Amino acid sequence: MKTLRSRKKSAWWKHVTGVLVFLLIWELSVRLGLFSSQQLSPPSQVIETFFAKLTDPRPDGETLGVHFLASFSVTLGGFSLACLIGIPLGLLMGYYRPVYLLVNPIFELLRPIPPIAWIPIVTLLLGIGAEARIFIIFLSAIVPAVINSYTGIQRTPQTYIHVGQSLGMSRWRIFTRICIPYALPTLFTGVRLSLSTAWAALVAAEMMASVQGLGYMIQMGRLLIKPDIIITGMLTIGCSGALMSLLLTLLENRLTKWGR
Amino acid sequence: MKHTSSHGSFQEPWWWKLLPVASVALFLAVWHGAALCNPAMLPTPVETIRSLFDMLFFPTTQITLLDHVWASLRRVLIAYGLATLSGVLLGVLFGWSRNFHDFVYPIFELLRPIPPIAWIPLIIMWLGIGEGAKIAICFIGSFIPVVVNTFFGFTTLDRTYLKAAQVLGARQKDLLLEVVLPGIFPNILAGMKVALSAGWLCVIAAEMIAAREGLGYLIVRSMESGNMLNILVALIFIGSISAILSFLFSKLEKVVCPW
Repeated sequence: MKTLRSRKKSAWWKHVTGVLVFLLIWELSVRLGLFSSQQLSPPSQVIETFFAKLTDPRPDGETLGVHFLASFSVTLGGFSLACLIGIPLGLLMGYYRPVYLLVNPIFELLRPIPPIAWIPIVTLLLGIGAEARIFIIFLSAIVPAVINSYTGIQRTPQTYIHVGQSLGMSRWRIFTRICIPYALPTLFTGVRLSLSTAWAALVAAEMMASVQGLGYMIQMGRLLIKPDIIITGMLTIGCSGALMSLLLTLLENRLTKWGR
Repeated sequence: MKHTSSHGSFQEPWWWKLLPVASVALFLAVWHGAALCNPAMLPTPVETIRSLFDMLFFPTTQITLLDHVWASLRRVLIAYGLATLSGVLLGVLFGWSRNFHDFVYPIFELLRPIPPIAWIPLIIMWLGIGEGAKIAICFIGSFIPVVVNTFFGFTTLDRTYLKAAQVLGARQKDLLLEVVLPGIFPNILAGMKVALSAGWLCVIAAEMIAAREGLGYLIVRSMESGNMLNILVALIFIGSISAILSFLFSKLEKVVCPW
């Protein structure tokens, strides 16, 4: 089974070739009529539109930069709130059973509801401004943050805890000095999950009366039957999400130097 | 649930068992209070439950609530089945063949971060607003976690099993079927679990945008007509079904994969 022996040497050309073949198939499928130009834009068009949108507010009203900033700020707001509240909550839930018993029922009630389904209720409570969108993102992104935090704490092996106890550490110190560091890898996975959930929720949230944002841009692309705008929007969301995830991984590597 | 605070011979106080009850009661109380402040817009919990029973047992519309539920479920199950089969296949291909992985994985990585909801406008342009479009969107949502988790299983597989099997003279086919697949099966199941809730999420989103029946459609119609009761009933159903599906899956997991 070849994949289990790592052969990193000449792999990059395969990656590039694979992507190029994919782009070629994509380009040809439009040029040869497999997809009409109203259904799919070839990569050449998408690239052209991308660069055009950097400065041109047509046809949807704003440049790519404005859309991106609008989406990014809302996503960042919801995501940060979700982590700020969700992580401590999850950690406490993992360590103190009464907290878990108290919070978990509400959490399990609200967890399965898709972000887009929150729109009616949130619109009722918060209107249709940026706060409402941030709240929707918050509601969606908090779920992985909490779950991974308490799972991380729960996984702390009893041996470690017993060591702490035999050293005479208080419950709180065991929590902060043993359990939390042990939970960090799982926690960071949760943070990354929370981030991708936030981006997914963003697209849903921007379906509520926005006039800016990448999700709005995609909607406009659909209404104006311009698939190049749609694809530009999709890829911008995808790349932003991937970049932020990469940054998070770098941060995690910094913080968990003891390596596992 | 193993709780780190319950060390050793720790005896739980009796009143801890009441905490979940208390928090649900608090939630209902807050809801009721909010409803009293906005009588026109937010129904109370009692009204909602009564409406739920009415809609279930005394339907007044042509398409009953259960019809909507079944429409949503049907789409998810079809998409989920397709996604699981093809997802495991692709994941195994990625793990088994280095070449395949090197050529194709970058494309997957490029498309993976795009949220399924962002695919909706494109899918609608290609497939219209029929069943195919909704199944396609759920498929995307479910497919990705299955592939990711299946492939991840390969990377965490213990090499010793493989070496042992090779020493014992196993052929490639046997290696795959007898060692690898059972080894990554827990990962596949983890992926399937995520895929199930992802699929359910996607179907609601897809139905809210383009459908004529289904729970998502019900929500959108009720938004337009300002019928908060229907929205809340639909939300309760969405939540309950998701919980039931997760529960069933956990039970299934224990049976199918005891290791």
